[in-house]
Amino acid sequence: METFWETFKRHGVNRRDFLKFATTITGIMGLSPSMIPEVVRALETKPRVPVIWIHGLECTCCSESFIRSATPLASDVVLTMISLEYDDTLSAAAGEDLEKHRREIIKKYWGNYILAVEGNPPLGEDGMYCIIGGEPFLKSLKESAEGAKAVIAWGSCASWGCVQAAKPNPTTAVPIDKVIKDKPIIKVPGCPPIAEVMTGVIMHLVLFDSIPPLDAQGRPKQFYGNRIHDTCYRRAFFNAGQFVERFDDEGAKKGWCLYKVGCRGPTTYNSCGNIRWYNGLSYPIQAGHGCIGCSEDNFWDNGPFYQRLTTIPVPNVEANADKVGVAVAAAAAAGAVAHGVISKLRSKPNKKGGE
Amino acid sequence: MARVVVDPVTRIEGHLRIELIVDEKSGKVVDAVSCGTMWRGIELILKGRDPRDAWAFAQRICGVCTSIHALASVRAVEDALEIKIPKNANYIRNIMYGSLQVHDHLVHFYHLHALDWVSPLEALKADPVQTAVLQNQLLEKYGAVAELMPDPLGRRAYPKKFPKATPGYFRTFQEKIKKIVESGQLGIFAAHWWDHPDYKLLPPEVHLMAVAHYLNMLDVQRELFIPQVVFGGKNPHPHYIVGGMMCSISLNDMNAPINVERLAVVEDAIYTQAEAVNLFYLVDLLAIGHIYVQKGQTYGGGLAKKRVIGYGEFPDESYSGIKNGDYHKQVLYHCNGVVEDFAEGIEKAKYYPLMGKDFADPGVIQEYVAHSWYKYPDEKSGLHPWDGITEPNYTGPKEGTKTHWKYLDEKGKYSWIKSPRWRGKPCEVGPLARYIVVYTGVKQGHIKPSWMDEMIVRQIDFVSKVLELPPHVWLPTTVGRTAARGLEAQVGAAANLYFMKKLYDNIKAGDTSVANMERWEPSTWPKEAKGIGLTEAPRGALGHWVIIKDGKIANYQCVVPTTWNGGARDPMGGQGAFEECMKDTPLKVVNKPLEVLRGIHSFDPCLACSTHLYDTEGKEILEIRVQGSQPLCY
Repeated sequence: METFWETFKRHGVNRRDFLKFATTITGIMGLSPSMIPEVVRALETKPRVPVIWIHGLECTCCSESFIRSATPLASDVVLTMISLEYDDTLSAAAGEDLEKHRREIIKKYWGNYILAVEGNPPLGEDGMYCIIGGEPFLKSLKESAEGAKAVIAWGSCASWGCVQAAKPNPTTAVPIDKVIKDKPIIKVPGCPPIAEVMTGVIMHLVLFDSIPPLDAQGRPKQFYGNRIHDTCYRRAFFNAGQFVERFDDEGAKKGWCLYKVGCRGPTTYNSCGNIRWYNGLSYPIQAGHGCIGCSEDNFWDNGPFYQRLTTIPVPNVEANADKVGVAVAAAAAAGAVAHGVISKLRSKPNKKGGE
Repeated sequence: MARVVVDPVTRIEGHLRIELIVDEKSGKVVDAVSCGTMWRGIELILKGRDPRDAWAFAQRICGVCTSIHALASVRAVEDALEIKIPKNANYIRNIMYGSLQVHDHLVHFYHLHALDWVSPLEALKADPVQTAVLQNQLLEKYGAVAELMPDPLGRRAYPKKFPKATPGYFRTFQEKIKKIVESGQLGIFAAHWWDHPDYKLLPPEVHLMAVAHYLNMLDVQRELFIPQVVFGGKNPHPHYIVGGMMCSISLNDMNAPINVERLAVVEDAIYTQAEAVNLFYLVDLLAIGHIYVQKGQTYGGGLAKKRVIGYGEFPDESYSGIKNGDYHKQVLYHCNGVVEDFAEGIEKAKYYPLMGKDFADPGVIQEYVAHSWYKYPDEKSGLHPWDGITEPNYTGPKEGTKTHWKYLDEKGKYSWIKSPRWRGKPCEVGPLARYIVVYTGVKQGHIKPSWMDEMIVRQIDFVSKVLELPPHVWLPTTVGRTAARGLEAQVGAAANLYFMKKLYDNIKAGDTSVANMERWEPSTWPKEAKGIGLTEAPRGALGHWVIIKDGKIANYQCVVPTTWNGGARDPMGGQGAFEECMKDTPLKVVNKPLEVLRGIHSFDPCLACSTHLYDTEGKEILEIRVQGSQPLCY
């Protein structure tokens, strides 16, 4: 397997441009300039990592999101960073020939390949609600995980269960960590996850040959370290008590805070506020819709989506604005009520609302 | 007779298995079995929820043709609650819909279908200099196809995405492929039947051009969905609301979701769509399709020759309702109808219109389960979606064990997909079906053609001239199905320019409203209401049926394109479009059925879409849960 530097050389990229590339991606990955030598070293020594990407119960939105990545472009990831050896959506081959290839890759790269899982296994009916090659997906999942170096749980399906696991979960779909117990699992939740978060996770694995730092729930801290609320461009309006009271009202035109029409930004950990979607083009809140919390465990059953949150959990760290809110309405126990009171005082033009 | 199994069928959405019964002497497929191998139960999950949330759940039926189930869902709920959306919301939804058509079709052609026609290994044999010459010749030969697209905006200075017809461009791609092949890490190109003789049908230069564009379009496709990101906040799975759209428009407020700067981003993306379709997609498609047709590959029509169905799309203005309103009077894409026997010639084809009331008629659209893993009290009869029941009933294969199949039982139950029927008869859906309905409807004088219908007729006549074959010969084939999809992508881009102009004009006239919130609160709803949401997904006719009781969803059912095309047999012996298209296909290599794979891929199968559960019987749900919650691995 050739290294990145070898690949670059083969393409006629000179050393200067190679170093420039290394510097750029160091920045993209949010690392300090002191890390540049390490990135260069990684690019010089790392081969293309084989990846097996399998699909359980899902809707393929994770794959679709992945190919929307702009920095880096998905084509660069697939063709130069990794070697995507098995993928239901992109592999040319079909049928038993492809299944045989998967088993060969597992054997050949035992302990050295990455398993990416999109979707999840159903446990009902002996797993026969999701069948690959005439056998339950569950079998293919366990078989592929056994020799993997690490496992990526793409999206909320693999991470938490997602829509098919919402009540009453007719197929008994479960997140993959319920059946894979002995491998490191990187959870990349979201329905789907942001494209650059997905390619960013792969870049980290490939460049540093290590699992990115994870939080207590198994998510990469660099992408799931903040609530959407913390980095939301509408946060200033929340702090000021200026809220959209109903869709298409004056507040909606002014881009005020969507908390009162059900926004889950205050309880959702994801990069929508800072990285945004489509290389920073927009995100749901920017288009005027509240966050539905799609990267959070069990979010489908935390609805209805347009009902405002009745409690905003106040974390121990960095919650100044919330604390301010609570302080202003000294008697109120929950932050939600507190902000409702503030908005009533301040936003006179909007009479209709959830008060 | 040989029985050939392809499982999994890849480069599709979801999980599909096909089994072929092949006459080894003639090499022809005698019969075929198509099996949807997954089931998720989203309709069951929708029961009891707030109907305003339904779009988000239903949208997760598919992330490839993302947004289409959300559109069908908000339409169904609005139809039930009698909500008329503002003009701007209708234009915006149409632009989001048109963008889906362009993106989904283009990605299907290059990334899910192209490798059935072209091979990276053959591309290595090409001369990059000659490929550049060829590219110019093809642009010359087929370039006039771009003129079929009207541009009411007319603001683009010049095409920004013109294909590069230089030897250097093609050499770069060729070297890339060469290194991948030499590295031994073939990645996504591994393990395929590259030695199949059909890969010799095209000259190496066509292979190199197409493979270069396969890689090139992988990067460009991400720009085509920008309208959905601006109006819906993200993609896949953009946001919608019941009553219109949430993306408020203001030319005064700097934080408005939609202002002039945001509209410019959308406009630019629409022109990128037009250029990607006109200059890459359609030219490549005509070049490859032309050669295949000349080499006699006109099989794979199957059910399209006998019967197709469509529901209609692109309401010009917001409508008063679907089940008993003027939706079908407003649509610009008049594919709402059934056409029988198109293959016998345009004069002999039979045309039946479909209007809103037909979708509420219990006798018109029904679903059967005789050969699907569900139970009905009477499995000889079909049920209208509003009355549908589902009780899963997995019976395993004919040969093999419950969890290790050898062969499926086509005489018994064999798929997680039900069988929808129009008046008891199977129909094909999809771009090809829509094109057949519009072409027949216009040529036989049944519909007053809109500009969009006229464009479609012009497109079909243009391609007929290129291929030197009448439409009834080339359209109902594998090539024709793929061609109709490409032509429809052009219609999508044209529609986006048309609705963008309407959006500008309406804002200019002082109307910035995007949402009708009069019936937002459940207290304003009737105690019981029924609705139908219709649309045309990239893969074919899509309908959602909803029943709302006491502010909650009492029943929610989707009859989706791949259920029509990929469903199991019905009790009368009728077969769906997948099975029909495989029959009579000649196989050059019996255990490498590339021709069949190409035929199946020409439908753009979507299995997450087709495998779901309809009804509401609490008992069965409970049973499944009890059974399934036996801890296997905890």
